Amino acid sequence: MRKLIPTTTPRLLLAAFLLLAAGAAMAQERARIVAVNYPLAYFAERLAGDAAEVIYPVPESVDPSFWRPAIADISTVQSADLILLNGAGFATWVDRVSLPRSKLVNSSDGLSDRFISTQSITHSHGDGGEHSHEGTAAYTWLDPDLAIAQAEAVARAMTARGLAPADAVQDRLDALRSELETLDAAAGDALADAGTVPMIATHPRYQYLARAYGLDIAALDWDAGATPDADQLQALSDLAAERGARILIWEADPGAEAMTATDELGLTSVVFPPLATPPEDGSYLEAFRAAVTALGTAATP
Amino acid sequence: MVEVENLGFGYRGGFRLAIPQLSLADGEKLAIVGPSGSGKTTLLNLVAGILVPDSGRIIVAGTEVTGMSDALRRRFRASRIGFVFQDFALLDYLSARQNILYPYRITPALVLDAAARDRAEALAEACGIGDKLDRHPAALSQGEQQRVAICRALVTRPRLVLSDEATGNLDPDSKARILDLLFRQAEEAGAAVLAVTHDHELLPRFERVLDFAQYRQETPA
Amino acid sequence: MNALFLAYAYLRYHWARSAVLVVVAALILFVPAATQILLSTSERALVARGEATPLVLGARGSELDLTMSALYFSDERPDPIRMSQVEAIWDSGLAMPLPLHTAFSSGGFRIVGTTLDYFGFRDLEVAQGRGLTLLGEAVIGAEVAQALDKGVGDALVSAPENLFDLDGVYPLEMPIVGVLAPTNTPDDNAIFVDIKTAWVIQGIGHGHEDVVTAADIASGTDALANAAVVQYQRITPENIESFHFHGSQDDFPASSVIVVPNDTRSGTILKGRYLDPESPTQLVEPAGVIRGLVDRIFRIKTLLDVVTAIIAVAALAAIGLAVFLSYRLRAGEIATAVKLGARRGMVLRLLAAETVTLLFVAGGFAMAGAVVVSRNAESWVGFLLALGS
Repeated sequence: MRKLIPTTTPRLLLAAFLLLAAGAAMAQERARIVAVNYPLAYFAERLAGDAAEVIYPVPESVDPSFWRPAIADISTVQSADLILLNGAGFATWVDRVSLPRSKLVNSSDGLSDRFISTQSITHSHGDGGEHSHEGTAAYTWLDPDLAIAQAEAVARAMTARGLAPADAVQDRLDALRSELETLDAAAGDALADAGTVPMIATHPRYQYLARAYGLDIAALDWDAGATPDADQLQALSDLAAERGARILIWEADPGAEAMTATDELGLTSVVFPPLATPPEDGSYLEAFRAAVTALGTAATP
Repeated sequence: MVEVENLGFGYRGGFRLAIPQLSLADGEKLAIVGPSGSGKTTLLNLVAGILVPDSGRIIVAGTEVTGMSDALRRRFRASRIGFVFQDFALLDYLSARQNILYPYRITPALVLDAAARDRAEALAEACGIGDKLDRHPAALSQGEQQRVAICRALVTRPRLVLSDEATGNLDPDSKARILDLLFRQAEEAGAAVLAVTHDHELLPRFERVLDFAQYRQETPA
Repeated sequence: MNALFLAYAYLRYHWARSAVLVVVAALILFVPAATQILLSTSERALVARGEATPLVLGARGSELDLTMSALYFSDERPDPIRMSQVEAIWDSGLAMPLPLHTAFSSGGFRIVGTTLDYFGFRDLEVAQGRGLTLLGEAVIGAEVAQALDKGVGDALVSAPENLFDLDGVYPLEMPIVGVLAPTNTPDDNAIFVDIKTAWVIQGIGHGHEDVVTAADIASGTDALANAAVVQYQRITPENIESFHFHGSQDDFPASSVIVVPNDTRSGTILKGRYLDPESPTQLVEPAGVIRGLVDRIFRIKTLLDVVTAIIAVAALAAIGLAVFLSYRLRAGEIATAVKLGARRGMVLRLLAAETVTLLFVAGGFAMAGAVVVSRNAESWVGFLLALGS
């Protein structure tokens, strides 16, 4: 065993050299951070400043919840220095691809006791019996309080991996947190009286928003961007009558025809982007604030 | 060529070889006959310097063999004397050509050069085995083997050829041919021949015949 | 030169005898050299693998079994541990855990389910194709590719296992998407998949695109009438979306976990945490375990050396006898040489030249053999270690 020491010495030197070389290469290349949704990308960008390149790999027109990455997309994700996951069942494609566990950070780790369960889906397959999957509502960032926790997780991950200077990240986190707190307060004000107004969403996206501000939101499951057909309108009408709802929340502007159709049912349309994808105007904070303001306005008699 | 004076050589068995005087002229062919154990081969060995006499002098080609050191005698033997044996004494692992050139391989007194090789070829040609030079002894007949041995004895251009029953193992037809061959080649090389033989029918071919019985003495115990 | 000429002529003429002598002498020289080369290479390979693997976490039991399983993907199957153990190490922030799931095999080679971090940790490079990307894919070691004659575009089917006795679990067909560059380590003999794929093989994860089952065929519900009925599942672009995992990932199994501490201090702290003999897990240092193994091997080697020495003495005696007998046979030649005026010592020179030539040729063969062995030692040792696993 002892005679092996001389042969390990060159190897150690080589390893040291490679580390130096790698360090030199790192110094030239910015760290790359991949985020599976827009809020995480936004937080990462805010927190990293110039220290890292933040990549949101999902094409503009695709809902990140249902994105199916191509091999090349997965390669991009695999080669990142940090991969930010949302958790809470968001982006299940990560379960079906190979990712380096050392680069993965689940930003909602430790928040599971605050998750909202959705109804169970039961099915059977193979020779086995039936079994059920309990769903989890995924749009956690629509509760600014949870968003703060996620941003903190992102900050911790960056600092732990040395992707950005710790002091700077802390300063930026403090700033972001206070902005999110301000947003929370503003949303609280805007929606203070909205809790009494039953609402219907075209998609089940707003569970955390509803819980955070005491809103009553029932959900349909319409295809995003499509004009509702007669059956769907009938279902909406029935649901609105049953709940006494007078506000309809759209994920995106459905177009004049759809809005006219729902207006005729006595429902006020409000567009509230769920922000999983980047908003058309402004940032997460601005779009969120604009949306809650619009919703508050619509709910005020 | 050979002068032997007052030669005395004692065997352990109680016999003694004593030759008061014996001489062989240049190019002379002398046959030695005599019963077994009369010391014929001993004489050859003494003349060749393989054995050293107890007394007397042997002069070969003007050099006193009896006065030389062992190393000198070996060199002298290699360069001045050719040997032909009854059993041919060829080496089975060497080709005919290499057997002929064997003397050059075993002593620094001889230098194996192109001339030596040419001589080997010419001798083999003359002996009728020119086309069999690359064969090993096992692939040669007895007569051919003895021809190779004759070539080996003469390739070094010796002044004296010692023949020990050279024809003893050959069939009657071959005996005369081989002896003639030996004589002819010795003549061409200018070498004298001292031959021990039992073949009385060959004796007329020699210039002189010496009966050896006279030289053997019983030594008193 | 002349003595060498004659020696060579003699050896060539008696080629059979010479060949036997050369072979015997070459073997006597070669065997100890080859043993030494192979042993020191295997020692180096074992120790290198051990030293390249800082810590291994696994179920309590034989340390050697755990080490062999985690480092060499051996047949030993330590009890599985829960993935929550892996998460606990991540949470500690002291080390990088690399879970290994080695319960399955295909074509006689172990299927190693792990995370992509393993490839970085072992510096494994993809020589052909690409790395693991989608669930169900496999990347194979160089030796596997050669032995099974498979490459990118081919597929492997996991060997059926009754180990977990789960209903409805069928072998999984896995497309090969990459072949690794050879490393002369056990990684050459492994079929790498994502640990999630290993869980699919185990039946923890599954899709809803039903496999063709024996029951279907028996009941005639399956339209396929021909004999080429697949009885394994396959993850395709069509059904991959339906694949999912039941229960919490924390409860999923791993066979062992390679633990790479961030630094020495972290390693020490971690080791302290697993000292409790009541704990169902143990954290072992492979280098120490391997060292014990190597010491044992070298004790065996000492025995081997003695055996070799005895055989060498016997063989040398045999060679000596053969040479002596051949000298006796050559007494006539020696007498002739003396009569023809051979120089003093000629005979000795001749015999020495012969012996030297023999030894030289034998040495040449032994050396060539040793060179071949040392050139291939790493891959042969890798093969031998794989055999033993």
